[in-house]
Amino acid sequence: MSRARDTIGTWIGWTFFADLANGLSLTFGYMFSKSVTMQYPDKEKWLPYSRYRGHHFLKRDEEGEIKCVACELCARICPCYCIEVVPYEDEKGNRRPAKFEIDTARCLFCGLCEDACPADAIALGQQYEFSSFSSRDLVIGRDDLLAKPGKAATGGGVVAARLNTQKDVLVETDERQGYNWWRNIRRR
Amino acid sequence: MELAVAIGLIILKVALLIAMLLLLPLPLTWVERKIAGHMQQRMGPMRVGWHGLLQPVADGIKLLTKEDHIPAEADRFLFKLAPILALAPPFVVFVAIPFGESVSVLGNEITLYVSNMNVALLFVFAVIGLEVYGVIFGGWAANSKYAVLGSLRTCAQMISYEIPMGFAVIGVVMLAQSMSLLEIVRAQEDVWNIVYQPIGFFVFFVAGLAEAQRIPFDLSEAEGDLGAGFHTEYSGIRFAFFMVSEYVVMLLVSVLTVILFFGGWNGVLIPLPPLLWFALKVAFFVYLFMWFRFTFPRYRYDQLMAIGWKVLLPLSMANIIITGIAFS
Ligand code: SF4
Ligand code: SF4
Repeated sequence: MSRARDTIGTWIGWTFFADLANGLSLTFGYMFSKSVTMQYPDKEKWLPYSRYRGHHFLKRDEEGEIKCVACELCARICPCYCIEVVPYEDEKGNRRPAKFEIDTARCLFCGLCEDACPADAIALGQQYEFSSFSSRDLVIGRDDLLAKPGKAATGGGVVAARLNTQKDVLVETDERQGYNWWRNIRRR
Repeated sequence: MELAVAIGLIILKVALLIAMLLLLPLPLTWVERKIAGHMQQRMGPMRVGWHGLLQPVADGIKLLTKEDHIPAEADRFLFKLAPILALAPPFVVFVAIPFGESVSVLGNEITLYVSNMNVALLFVFAVIGLEVYGVIFGGWAANSKYAVLGSLRTCAQMISYEIPMGFAVIGVVMLAQSMSLLEIVRAQEDVWNIVYQPIGFFVFFVAGLAEAQRIPFDLSEAEGDLGAGFHTEYSGIRFAFFMVSEYVVMLLVSVLTVILFFGGWNGVLIPLPPLLWFALKVAFFVYLFMWFRFTFPRYRYDQLMAIGWKVLLPLSMANIIITGIAFS
């Protein structure tokens, strides 16, 4: 009985284009909802979470000395063979890298170098704006790696596009839990 | 002297009309893209000018400076003729369309139509039927299978939808006892035709959607399965011609719907200038076209034919009979 009524109801609905009207009302609702576009790079940009694997950076210890002991483990474990380390002995008799180059054009940002490092000297930061017209520019040397920004305490938010991730990636966003992509998507 | 003034006035009106119709697609493309964007929670064009307002100008410049490519195997004469054939009829039709009664400029009464034909409706349908030639020639001359398929579909679609469209307006003609669009609007001064002719309006509007080749009936240029249909091989300014013609036809169907079923420039409740009423109603139907476009999926080809012949045609005939019985 109820099944038959359902069928009749469906037919009546079809006669008056209930389904089409439904679709139209849905799109009309969307028309006046907030848009989810992030206006990159005009106005805003995305600051990724601190666990994001972006550009590498080399760390220094408390005395300002480079932490890396040039053990070449990262070069070993790297699946792309894109790290090249040449060791030397500095004045204090410590083993340090004379040359430390990462070919970011080949790097797949797996983070294995970070995991392998026994001295906690290398890590992958949050910077992601380093595209270039020449693949040669993507080979980053030791001193450049030391100068790269480290990890920010926060992340996962939208920040002003003017922000220079090279310099000050440490920004406070209101959204500590991260940017909620579903915020403006209406579901029903 | 009288004659010279009259002729001058007509030329002035035609020039104004052509300028308006040529320029109107520019803001319409912007509006359409904005509507599309916001319905999909995007922003639409944002970068050229304030909120992308100059985007259509940028597009126009791009189209004008693009290479005007003609395929090697194409029939060059027909290929060049087709965009003009597609563009001209919608413009010609507007000669018969009234935009209002008259306005007084410097103490002279100036009518808001180029000519008040007593068979305006017939003229409209006759001329708009010619538009299909542009599409067929364009598809045929390009010598590409997508284009030919697209133009064949368009041909069948236009023919099968023109019939219910023509039948649908007979009810309106019966009510107004005239084929002149001016008389039809005057006859709706008290009650709009939509009250008496809901079926007629429905058939006319759906057929109009098909005639303007808009979604859900845009089979002639279904991007998904035909590349771009009949204008696959066109580029540059010739492509722009097809685009402009598409927008003008959309405008035309909106204008016709308003004139035939929604009382033309007759307002209700709020007293506004008649021309403004007319523009508002047309704007609503143009919006409806775009709203449909970003809501509905495209019909399959056999469904298209079935709707045309099995639903709309009987409905329009029933409408004639009902109108005849009810108002005899
Ligand atoms: S992130 Fe992976 S691929 Fe890139 S340098 Fe480190 S180990 Fe190699
Ligand atoms: S970065 Fe770490 S793993 Fe790589 S050479 Fe230096 S200390 Fe060894």
